Amino acid sequence: MTMTYALEAKGLSVRYGGVTANDGVSMRIAPGEIRGLIGPNGAGKSTFIDALSGRRATAAGSVHLAGRDITALGVVERRLLGLSRSFQRTSIFPGMRIGAQMELAASKIPDADADEVMRELGLDRFADRHANEIGYGDQRRLDIALALVGRPSVLLLDEPMAGLSIEESMKLARHLRELARHWGVSVLLVEHDMEVVFGISDSITVLETGKLLAEGAPAEIRAHPKVREAYLGSAA
Amino acid sequence: MSATLTAPALDGAQVKRASRLPRLLSLTSVAVAVGLAVSMLVESNTVMSLLTQAVIYAVFALGLGFLLKQNGMVSFGHALFFGLSGYLVGVGASLTGSVGTVVVLTIAGIGFFAFALALVIVRVPGIAFGMLTLAIGQSFYVLVSKSRGVTGGADGMSIEFPPRVFGLEIGAFQDPASMFLISWLALVALVLALSLLLGTRFGPLTEAIRENEERVRFIGFRTLLPRAVVFAISAMVTAVGGALSALYTGFVSPESLHWSVSGTVLIMVVLGGSRTLWGPAVGAVVYYLFRDYVGEHTTHWMGIFGVSLIAVIVLWPAGIAGGVMHAVERIKRGSGRHA
Repeated sequence: MTMTYALEAKGLSVRYGGVTANDGVSMRIAPGEIRGLIGPNGAGKSTFIDALSGRRATAAGSVHLAGRDITALGVVERRLLGLSRSFQRTSIFPGMRIGAQMELAASKIPDADADEVMRELGLDRFADRHANEIGYGDQRRLDIALALVGRPSVLLLDEPMAGLSIEESMKLARHLRELARHWGVSVLLVEHDMEVVFGISDSITVLETGKLLAEGAPAEIRAHPKVREAYLGSAA
Repeated sequence: MSATLTAPALDGAQVKRASRLPRLLSLTSVAVAVGLAVSMLVESNTVMSLLTQAVIYAVFALGLGFLLKQNGMVSFGHALFFGLSGYLVGVGASLTGSVGTVVVLTIAGIGFFAFALALVIVRVPGIAFGMLTLAIGQSFYVLVSKSRGVTGGADGMSIEFPPRVFGLEIGAFQDPASMFLISWLALVALVLALSLLLGTRFGPLTEAIRENEERVRFIGFRTLLPRAVVFAISAMVTAVGGALSALYTGFVSPESLHWSVSGTVLIMVVLGGSRTLWGPAVGAVVYYLFRDYVGEHTTHWMGIFGVSLIAVIVLWPAGIAGGVMHAVERIKRGSGRHA
C-alpha cells in the first residue's frame, strides 16, 4: 500500500541568480511527524521552507501536500489547504489587538478556533492588548499561534526559539511537541538549538550547501560521521 | 468538536459589533445635533461660509485620511478625485437637468476609475506610490487646463444648475447656512458608513494588511483587492467633497486638481491625526479656523501655522485626535484606579 505523506518535496531546487540555494532536495514527512531540519549557516534551510510555503519560486522539483501537487499554488492557497508557517523574524501585526488578529486569522478557515489556540499558547490573557505591548517571548508565541489557527496539517517553523532563553526554548519546544501530537499536526522545524531539535524531533534531515547530507532518527544523525564532521562537531 | 469550539469566538465578535452599534448611533445623533446647533446659532454669513468650506474640505480630508489609516499609503494626488468630481458634475449639469443622478454617477464612476487605477498603483510601495499619485494627479491637472473647449481651460468653468437638485432648491446649496448643514450631514453620514464598514471583517483585514501584508497572505487572505477597495472608497469620499464644492460655488477650476491642494489636505490629515476616522475632519476645521483668525492679523500666517504644526507633531505624533484619545484613555485609567 502506498503511503500518503503529509508533505513531500521531490527534487526541489531554488536558485538566486547563479547561486543554487537548494539543489534537488527531497523530503517526506509522515502525518503527525516532527521533523528537524539542521545544517550550518547558508545550508539552505530557510530557503527550503520558503520554497515549501510558496514564498520562493522553485527552479525544479515539486511539492505535494497530502498527495496533492501544490507546486503551482501560491501562499494563500497553500495556507487554506493546510500548509502553514512561522517566520525567523517575528511576523505579527504589532499595532493590532491580539484577539483581533487571531480572530482574523480564524475567519478564513472553516471550524478554526482562535480562542483555543490562544489558550494553548498562553496568549488568552493578552487578548485585549496590542501585540507591541507584550514581551518578545510572547510575540514569538503569537507568531506560532497565527500559524496554528485552524490546525493546519503541516506546520513549518523557521527558528521559532530564536532570541529565547534556553529555559523558554525548552518549555516552548515541549509544548509544541505535545500540541502537534494532540492535534495531529506534522511539523518541519528549523532550529539552531541542537538540544531542542534532538529533544523533540522524530527524525532529522541535514542540509549542507543546499544538498541533502543525511536523514534519519536523532540517534543515527548524532552518530553520522559526515554530519559530525560537517556540522555537529563536538556539540553532538 | 471544533464546530462547537468555534461558536464562542464568533459570538464574541458578534457581541462586540452589537455593542458598538448603539454607541455609534448615539455619537451620530450628537454630531447631527451639533451641526443643527451651529447652523442655528451662528448668525454671521462670513463665519458660516468659512465653516461650510471647512466642512467640505473635511470630507476631502476624511477620504485622504481613510487611505492613510487603512492602507498606510500617502497620496499626493487625491485632488484629482476632488477636482474631477467637480468637472464631471459641471459637464453633466450642462447636458442634463437631473443633477442628482449626475452626482451619483460621478461618485460611482470615480470609484470604478480609482479601483482600476489602484489595481496597478497600490502594488508600488512607499514613496514611489506617493510619486505615482502625484504624477497621475498632475497629468490630469494639465489635461483639464488644456481642454479649453470642454473645461474652460485655465479660466475654469461656471456651472449652470437647474432650479432644483436632489429635491431642494439650488439656492439651498449655495447659501452658506443651509449648505453648512447639508455638508455637515454628508460628513456625519460618511463617518458613520465608514465606521460600520470598519466594524466588519474588512476593518481588521485592511488594518492587518497595513501592518504586515506578507503575513496576511500567510494567514490565507489575498491582499491586492482589499487595498484597491480602500483606495476606491477613499477616492469616492473625496469625490463627494468635490461634488459638494461644485454645488456650493457653482464653479470649478483646474486649481482644484493641483497637487498643492492634495498637499494642503494632507497637512489637515496630519494635523488632525489619521488613527481615527474623525481626526482628519478635525484637522480640516482647525486649519480653516487658524487660517482665518491668524490670517486676519498677519500675512505670515503660514509660517505660524508651520511652527504650530511642528509643535503638534512633536507633542502628539498621532495628531489632535490621537492626543485627545490618549488623554481620554489616561482619564479612564485614572478614574479606574480611584474607583
